[in-house]
Amino acid sequence: MKRAMSSTITRALFVTLGLLVTTAAHAASTQADFDAAYAAAQSAEKEAGALKNQWTTTEQVLAAAKKSAAAGDFDSAVSQARQAEALAKASMAQAKEQETAWKAAVIH
Amino acid sequence: MLAASPALAQALAMPGQSLAFGRDKGNCLTCHVIAGGDAPGNVAPPLSDMKKRFPDRNELAAVIYDETKRNPLTVMPPFGRNLILTHDEIEAVIDFLYTR
Amino acid sequence: MRLKSFISLALILFAAAARARAADTVNPEADFKAFRDYFTKRFPNVPLNDFVNGPYSMDADLRKQWEAIEDFPPYDFSVDRGKDMFATPFKNGKTYGDCFPNKGVGIRQNYPYFDEKSGQVITLELALNQCRQANSEEPFSYVKDEMASLTAYMAFTSRGKPFDIKIPNDARALAAYENGEKYFYSRRGQLNFSCASCHVQNPGQHIRTEVLAPALGLLNAMPIYRSEWNGMGTISRRFVTCNSQVRGVPLEPQDENYRDVEYYLSYMANGLPISGPGARP
Repeated sequence: MKRAMSSTITRALFVTLGLLVTTAAHAASTQADFDAAYAAAQSAEKEAGALKNQWTTTEQVLAAAKKSAAAGDFDSAVSQARQAEALAKASMAQAKEQETAWKAAVIH
Repeated sequence: MLAASPALAQALAMPGQSLAFGRDKGNCLTCHVIAGGDAPGNVAPPLSDMKKRFPDRNELAAVIYDETKRNPLTVMPPFGRNLILTHDEIEAVIDFLYTR
Repeated sequence: MRLKSFISLALILFAAAARARAADTVNPEADFKAFRDYFTKRFPNVPLNDFVNGPYSMDADLRKQWEAIEDFPPYDFSVDRGKDMFATPFKNGKTYGDCFPNKGVGIRQNYPYFDEKSGQVITLELALNQCRQANSEEPFSYVKDEMASLTAYMAFTSRGKPFDIKIPNDARALAAYENGEKYFYSRRGQLNFSCASCHVQNPGQHIRTEVLAPALGLLNAMPIYRSEWNGMGTISRRFVTCNSQVRGVPLEPQDENYRDVEYYLSYMANGLPISGPGARP
């Protein structure tokens, strides 16, 4: 059985690991990251528009993403753009499902 | 393990209450009578005796997440599936509902 | 021998396909009867013609408030303005009356109709703007007061006349009707409601403090003076706001889907009297 490492080294090891972990988790988003995420969200929202089934929430989150980016907060901007893309996709899923699902609701 | 006093439990459940009552969030009062809420609608059953009616927390979560799975003609919005509330928000609402 | 079996099989398959097609074929008359029966059975104490009064047919307290309001109808100003607009010629000397049968008086109950020449549903609002454009005038916004005044006046001249919506024997008209039916029953918006969610499944119930109107006769009172809006609302305005309320991005006013759902709902109200313009909470 190995002797335990000295407490100083152990502490140093944990601090280093901690820094690595936090740096990895908070790798700052860039303008380029935002541009890519926003483009993807816009494209999805455009598709939803072709299905005549956009949600107001998607539009609001897209606007918020743009605002965050303009303010230089790319972390928020990327997160919001991804949220907008998810909303747009959910609205498309709704439209596609409803193509046939509506019939079950008709009064007979 | 110490049980929270009723008053403490109520205070701790507050985030869920504002999520449930808030028009921008759960907006549950639109359709449900809930103790503590004003001018509720009556489209859906009153939310009372929730612990007794939903002893299984997962069942209540499923109703809030996407009731169309259980009842295709429901008018309950799919708060989870349609990303109206986050997972954490739904959990907070459930905590609150269990105090009703 | 083989050919005979093949032909028999083909005939059986064809018959089955024909039956399936028949089941899928649009049948407005059958839909009409089912729709009518649903509401009269659900509300046996509501006289048929009363459905046009929307939430007031569902709630006695609300009706009392409404009857008090009707002593000094809040839409009177709109009717008067519409009458003036009808009496005022366009720059080229023509009038609205020149665009319509019977000078535009007592005809509201015939709209929408399916125009076989252009292959689309023509609503009253669309017809009014088409009239303006044909006479070199700028079209009005579909959601603002000028259009509300014109349709308020025309509705007023048709009060009591039953809806008389026709679906000609034309595949395109049937398609428009079915598209309207589809729009009505399709869930939309982040909140996942269809028109039917409120107006078929929950008429007479409250959402917060608002009483939901039945789908039967839903458009008979349009345009309405809505207290909540402190002003008039056209059919276009109501469709747009309903979409927003379920968190759906509204379509352009008079979009094909809106005209088709107006066609569907108006047909479902055939025989029920025009009660517009109306007052609502």
